[in-house]
Amino acid sequence: MSFLNTIHWVVWKDLISEWRTRETISSMLFFALIVILVFSFSFAMDQDAARQLIAGIIWVAFTFTGIIGIGKSFTSELQNDCIESLQMSPVAKGAIYLGKVVANFLFMFAVEILLFPLFVIFFNLEVVEAIGILFLVFFLATLGLSAVGTLFSALTVQIRAREVMLPVLLLPLAVPVMIAAVEATRGALNGDPYNFYSQWLHLLVIFDIIFTVVSFWLFEFILDS
Amino acid sequence: MSAIQVTGLSKAYGFYRIFEEMSFSISSGACFALFGPNGAGKTTLLRILATLQTPSGGQFTIFGQDGVAEKDSVRAILMLIAHGSHLYEELSATENLQFALALRGLKPEPSHVKRALDQTGIGAYGNLKIRQFSAGMKKRLALAKAILAEPKLLLLDEPYNALDDGGVAITNQLIQDTMTGGGTVIMTTHDRTKAAQIATEGAILQAGHLQLLSPEQLQAHVLS
Repeated sequence: MSFLNTIHWVVWKDLISEWRTRETISSMLFFALIVILVFSFSFAMDQDAARQLIAGIIWVAFTFTGIIGIGKSFTSELQNDCIESLQMSPVAKGAIYLGKVVANFLFMFAVEILLFPLFVIFFNLEVVEAIGILFLVFFLATLGLSAVGTLFSALTVQIRAREVMLPVLLLPLAVPVMIAAVEATRGALNGDPYNFYSQWLHLLVIFDIIFTVVSFWLFEFILDS
Repeated sequence: MSAIQVTGLSKAYGFYRIFEEMSFSISSGACFALFGPNGAGKTTLLRILATLQTPSGGQFTIFGQDGVAEKDSVRAILMLIAHGSHLYEELSATENLQFALALRGLKPEPSHVKRALDQTGIGAYGNLKIRQFSAGMKKRLALAKAILAEPKLLLLDEPYNALDDGGVAITNQLIQDTMTGGGTVIMTTHDRTKAAQIATEGAILQAGHLQLLSPEQLQAHVLS
């Protein structure tokens, strides 16, 4: 009970803090809007090329936007040395980790839900039939990115060059998730039969499980060091 | 009975040794005042006892539990009030207390939270966000956290900084209550006058060595 309670309070704290400042969400949205606009104007004359590349463009926007949010997850704990109260907490550190993962996931997923209609409008996408599978891909890939990103956010928070180190360390590990997400998104947007791209969804599930379990186990050592 | 037992404790940052082979014990129900010049290692010692830093050598036990091997058990019975307030700026005072209790695995009862805020003289500001608090009010809120958590070991780093007379009285009351309940308090301070009102044991940390003070030496030191 205490474990679930801790997850609940960490999520509550991060959400309520963000709701009052809107710092993370607004910077994520602003960055993503710029990415969408730049790509949209780049492919304005060639809609066919845009459709070929749209899955990659979506995940470039989502991933880099997510890194902004994930990076702020632990830097906010540096103010008033709040990270020390997390370190000194006698509760299971895994609960703190999962609370942070859930909060990061919610920030990223909320931004993705807000941004996706813009992709549909700017790139003239046909998504009505694929919407369910697309959101399943978004859900699984965002969970994977949150799971591994939260761990690296904790790892880099005490480093002076953390803004540089977080993407440098995170992106190589996130590549499998990004590739699987791009392939699954492309299959869904092209209207391919589910069997053609279902292996990428299975891969996302496997990555989610591996990343979450390993990060959960490592988090205590990273927070304590 | 010794509440804190420190044996051969050392701390070094690279080749720079903060202190070496430090051994001492503190009894339960005591208030131990740690004096010393800036940079002597008082805060480092406090942070080691709070399990925030690992010693370079030696060991220590807190109420019979190993401070390095049994960190989680030790963390459940101690509380550190440090220079950083450990408060979230965007949360209200009440919300900060609720979150702090949840992090200790305790259920945040609204009536207890309200009572702790009232006891520290900030009951009227329970819904105010921390970014609107003064340094003294933040310190009082940190004291409210300790009142709610009822730790067996209370570690106070310069507890009287930023506090008015009322805040000092609340701090001393918290120390007294902790001692009466069989707990132990360790504080670092430069304020000998205020320490004299409450400390029962003491030591001076200087140049890497700890000089324990007898009750007579403690009184002489705080009055000097």
